[in-house]
Amino acid sequence: MADLPLSGVRVCDLTWIIAGPTATRVLADFGAEVIRVEHAQAVDAIRLGRPIIGDTPTLNNSGFFNYFNRNKKSILLNVRHPMGFEVLKRLIAVSDVVVENFSSGVMKSWGLHYEQLREIRPDIIYCSLSGFGHTGRDSAYTTWGPTAQALCGLAFTSGLPGKPPAGWGYSFMDHTAGYTAASAIMMALYHRNRTGEGQHIDISQVEAGIVLNGPAVLDYTVNGRSWRREGMPPGNRAWEPAVAPHNTYPCRGDDRWIAIAVMNDAEWQALVRAMGEPDWATSPRFATNAGRLEHQDELDARIAEWTAPQEDYALMELLQAAGVRAGVAQKASDRRERDPQLAARDWWHVLPHPELGDCEYDGIVPKLSETPGALRAASPLLGQHTYEVMREVVGMSEDEFAEHQAAGVFM
Amino acid sequence: MTGPLADLRVIEVCDELGQYAGKVLADMGADVIKVESPEGSNARRIGPFVNDEPGPNRSLNFWYYNTNKRSVVLDLANSEADRDRFRRLVATADVLLEDQPPGTLTGWGLGPESLREADPALIVCSVTPFGQDGPWAHYRSSDLVALALGGPMQMNGYDPGDAPGAPPIRGHGDQGYHTACQFAVHGILAALLYRDRTGKGQYIDCSMHEALSCTVEVGMPYWLYTRQDVIRQTCRHASVQRTEPWLFQARDGRYLVLFGVGRDNESWAKLKKWFQESGFGLQFDEERFNNPLARQPGRGSPEAAEIMAEVAKFIAAHDAEYVYRGGQERDQAWGIVRSPDETLQDPHFWDRGHFVETTGEGIDHPVAMPGAPYIFSATPWELRRPAPKLGEHTAEVLAELSARPSRGDRNR
Repeated sequence: MADLPLSGVRVCDLTWIIAGPTATRVLADFGAEVIRVEHAQAVDAIRLGRPIIGDTPTLNNSGFFNYFNRNKKSILLNVRHPMGFEVLKRLIAVSDVVVENFSSGVMKSWGLHYEQLREIRPDIIYCSLSGFGHTGRDSAYTTWGPTAQALCGLAFTSGLPGKPPAGWGYSFMDHTAGYTAASAIMMALYHRNRTGEGQHIDISQVEAGIVLNGPAVLDYTVNGRSWRREGMPPGNRAWEPAVAPHNTYPCRGDDRWIAIAVMNDAEWQALVRAMGEPDWATSPRFATNAGRLEHQDELDARIAEWTAPQEDYALMELLQAAGVRAGVAQKASDRRERDPQLAARDWWHVLPHPELGDCEYDGIVPKLSETPGALRAASPLLGQHTYEVMREVVGMSEDEFAEHQAAGVFM
Repeated sequence: MTGPLADLRVIEVCDELGQYAGKVLADMGADVIKVESPEGSNARRIGPFVNDEPGPNRSLNFWYYNTNKRSVVLDLANSEADRDRFRRLVATADVLLEDQPPGTLTGWGLGPESLREADPALIVCSVTPFGQDGPWAHYRSSDLVALALGGPMQMNGYDPGDAPGAPPIRGHGDQGYHTACQFAVHGILAALLYRDRTGKGQYIDCSMHEALSCTVEVGMPYWLYTRQDVIRQTCRHASVQRTEPWLFQARDGRYLVLFGVGRDNESWAKLKKWFQESGFGLQFDEERFNNPLARQPGRGSPEAAEIMAEVAKFIAAHDAEYVYRGGQERDQAWGIVRSPDETLQDPHFWDRGHFVETTGEGIDHPVAMPGAPYIFSATPWELRRPAPKLGEHTAEVLAELSARPSRGDRNR
């Protein structure tokens, strides 16, 4: 197997749902051996997550699960069985990283908080990812992605003025908390390489979101201005830098839109030329950014009139050729079937899956010149690697494996 | 104590797109030297500004995204002497991070290939809107355009009843830039770990478009595995079919997000008791409400619809903060929709030391801003210095340059 950046790093992956598996997806894509510890009695709900391919859920036919768990291994382990718990400790002892995204308190209740993990493996890197973190007065509170997005300010800042928040139509904070955890784990590995020292990384999903609106918080603490005020959030118009035009405009067809962002006068002139220099656009009212901001309603209406009959991709090409920042609001189908950029960069991949057949995946960001990440295997079946991991990683003999199996440990 | 990256030196040539990646590394201990043109980074011209007065050192955007960095002014576009200083500076560094349009550095005679040839252990990371090649490589972008093309916007928006004909909506805060930077940091750290084993550097091509395209959760698998596109809904997950609302307005006008109600029977019992104490949900004692699956929205269950109607009435009769905390105390993972600044009012995050204080031109007292996205037990996040003034460290860094050996010589 090719040498990948994280080759030789073993991750005991206790995560489930999306945030934790996103973190381990990154690590696995870059070559870490990620071993998902799963339980048939408390299965990862995403194994039942839609879209399900086929008539009935089998725990192995969720497209949702498959998308987030490529390149990983899965073992079945009943950690509530005393022998199963011992096996978990043996796995931790030979792992570099333990990562989990349970509610805070769960690992402690298992007798596996950081100090206890250190007794098993002194230089362990333990990453916990919970809604509110392991300290603080509300640490027992819990989140899902949408809850965290509401609490951290992200849902509020997405929407049209005078309307309810539009928020995010997916768990952006599950992704982002996972990405944050992946970075944190790699930083801790870097530190361990230098000092031999492991550590506990405590991540709160809400805090990982609060850091994504720093300038808005500073506008309050420096200028006393809250985003909760009339006219905010400004929809697709710009907040800062305050520029216009900056919006989405309709195109020909059902639910087709183009985003256009004009950042300065030169880009405005380029847009005016691309539009064929209509009389309204050459009016001095629109010559400066201040004027365009003042007359933004009229400006947006005029541009929308111009875009509405046009085909979105052709319009994007026209505008980009003129030097105007513009892009189609692409759906998943557009990116897969029409987007020439993703296609040209070999973004789409196929891997065989035992139950799902050939499965499509998107690629790995970023591209590393010497050790690019690799798609090596589709998502694992529940418990697919139990035998292999017990024998080769945990170091069980054939007899020992049989004894554990007979005792009901691997379920 | 110092951060995990304390021995790392990064040279950053970034405007608004890549500056967050530099911050993430700097906040964890790396010595990040930001090389700016004489006019300064574009971010210095992005508001809001202190007291709304623009100035190179008054941008709150720059303050936030450039903590812990040092600023050096070098005129890379026009001065061969400065380009030579830049080469010498890069020779002392582990990582070069840049976000200029593809070919810009090469045009200055500072291309990644030549820099890596001079120092094979160097890691160069380019963060750009579309990557270094492909038909769109030279197209121009912005956070809005990136979120449109990458897919997030098509998933954010409204039910027709809330805002007829509404377009896809961009979440604010430059989340496209953030997501690109998350991946740039992954690439840099992965390359550093590879270099630890082999001594070899490499080039990293980070495309914001690709970063966003794989950050839309259920949107992508629905197309890849069932050839269906999801539709936008008000403040809840986009889905292939319209689902029940989970956004509710409280008595004080604020909104709550309810992702699930009484997911297990234990928490349902607590919730039921709480509702019934103030006269709501009296029918919840009926046996048909005992099935946890039937209680959850999104499955067409009449019990779920009835529960959500009662929940809406309960919430409309109470203030949002009361409902949020009351729900959480009863094991409901509910959230209150806060504006970014309202997070400052929540004592939990102060308990954890999340908010930190910074300072800068035009204010006479420290001000709070978000701090660490993670708490490291051994090598914590730390605010060592506020964002630098333009060129604040030019003399200091150039003086070091004559004293400091190149990185290769240091390691020998």
